[in-house]
Amino acid sequence: MTTLTLPPLSLAARRTRVLGVVRRDFAALRRSPIRMFEILFWPTVELVLWGFVTLFLQAQKVPFVVSFLLGAVLLWQVLQKASNEISIAFLEDIWSRNLLNVQVSPLSSVEYLVGLVLFSLGKVAFAVAVMAALALGLYGFGVTSLGVGMVPFMGVLLVLGWSLGLVGIAAVLRFGENAQVIAWSLVFVVQPLAGIFYPVSVLPAPLQAVSWFLPASHVFEGMRTVMAGGALPWDRLAWAAALNVGYLAGTLGLFAWALRYARKHGKLSRFGD
Amino acid sequence: MAILQATHLLKRFGSVTAVRDLSLTIAEGEVVGLLGPNGAGKSTTLHMMLGLITPDAGSIKLFGMELAQHRTEALSQVNFAASYVDLPGVLRVREVLDAFARLYAVRHPRRRVDEMIELFELGPLAKRQLMALSSGQRTRVQLAKALLNAPRLLVLDEPTANLDPDAGDRIRGLLSRLARENGSAMLITSHNMREVERMCDRIHFMSDGVVVAAGSAAELAGRYGAEDLEEVFLKVARG
Ligand SMILES: Nc1ncnc2c1ncn2[C@@H]1O[C@H](COP(=O)(O)OP(=O)(O)O)[C@@H](O)[C@H]1O
Ligand SMILES: [Mg+2]
Repeated sequence: MTTLTLPPLSLAARRTRVLGVVRRDFAALRRSPIRMFEILFWPTVELVLWGFVTLFLQAQKVPFVVSFLLGAVLLWQVLQKASNEISIAFLEDIWSRNLLNVQVSPLSSVEYLVGLVLFSLGKVAFAVAVMAALALGLYGFGVTSLGVGMVPFMGVLLVLGWSLGLVGIAAVLRFGENAQVIAWSLVFVVQPLAGIFYPVSVLPAPLQAVSWFLPASHVFEGMRTVMAGGALPWDRLAWAAALNVGYLAGTLGLFAWALRYARKHGKLSRFGD
Repeated sequence: MAILQATHLLKRFGSVTAVRDLSLTIAEGEVVGLLGPNGAGKSTTLHMMLGLITPDAGSIKLFGMELAQHRTEALSQVNFAASYVDLPGVLRVREVLDAFARLYAVRHPRRRVDEMIELFELGPLAKRQLMALSSGQRTRVQLAKALLNAPRLLVLDEPTANLDPDAGDRIRGLLSRLARENGSAMLITSHNMREVERMCDRIHFMSDGVVVAAGSAAELAGRYGAEDLEEVFLKVARG
């Protein structure tokens, strides 16, 4: 082999390929102002909406800590963005008919996913930073009221979001482009079950049992505990992290299976037909 | 050593047998053409060589390595362009090439991208978005992408299908020159008989998933008692 390219299995080559994915996505974002707008639009709308709900409840002297709602909206966006941004990055390759170029490159699936995850991290951080600034500016709500819990809370939600995003990608690989509906909507199944805007205790018993197996539930319960002045429930967070590891392993397996399926059935070249 | 060695490939899609008992060997620097009517199985064959489609039976070795087990190593010495793929339209020419230079782990991406921009005369277009380019210009960018890693095997599926005769002729000239200079082997499909005649050392005719004839353009013409490749095509395609 010439010295034009790095030895394909070297760490340097792997790093370069992952960087290639990140650079490509970054350049694409820079060149599409509409996407940039979209990243900020929905979080802002939700924040403004729930901010006014909070103000109204405060005026009615509702006897509970209403800033729960603002914290919930913020954390919810972490989950939703992590999930959607991953699948969008993949779908954009399909929409622009670029998928085959990526699939015939030496990029491995793991490197591809690491690239998508890194880039989604940047987008989530950006959206959350803007929302946090708005929450503080408009409603005097500081995310710092979540204390050190911020880090594990967001960490758990990010990883869960990636798992959900992987399910979305796997669905598209398995069922074709129309399955992108799944990529958008799966995260909303979590919304009522995870007790985002209300305690899990309001759910009927069977649903409470389901919610116990959702890492997100423990984050939102933990958030309310901390905001009410309680200690960070580390035991819950540890359980959520353990669940996350299991789910991520499962969804990675699902993705690998879907990709094998797509290659076996010649689906990769058939998107958009 | 053979660059590509495919033996007894089989691919079925449901009840359709797209490729049957196909064996194909390409030597270093050799330019091989796949010809045949629509649906003959040419693209399926190419996609199997690129790891996009898993064969149901048979084996594919690239540079002596089993493709299925050595995907990353094998594919880093291969590249691909086709009339039915595109590069991300929102990106600028230089951004696309920058990104793909990294996907192929090119050691000095910037320098290599500069070389490709010069080679394909893309300088004045480097800052334009791909979606703003003509199809001839886009094809040039695709080929620049396909040569970033100086592939030992270049796979081209109807590379000039979207082009007018003038643009197509320029691309052909460029490809022939590159094949000579780089020593890249090529596997090409095309419906343009003159293109195939001009570029390919060896031609495989496919029909209904099977290679029905193989040889140089002159050999094939002789064997079928035909004036040129076009006549061979018609005779083969119509049985
Ligand atoms: N992904 C696929 N799913 C189902 N059938 C396919 C697929 N790809 C190709 N085929 C079928 O296999 C046959 C060969 O197709 P193809 O390889 O595209 O031919 P060519 O490139 O020579 O026109 C055709 O009958 C086509 O319809
Ligand atoms: Mg074809």
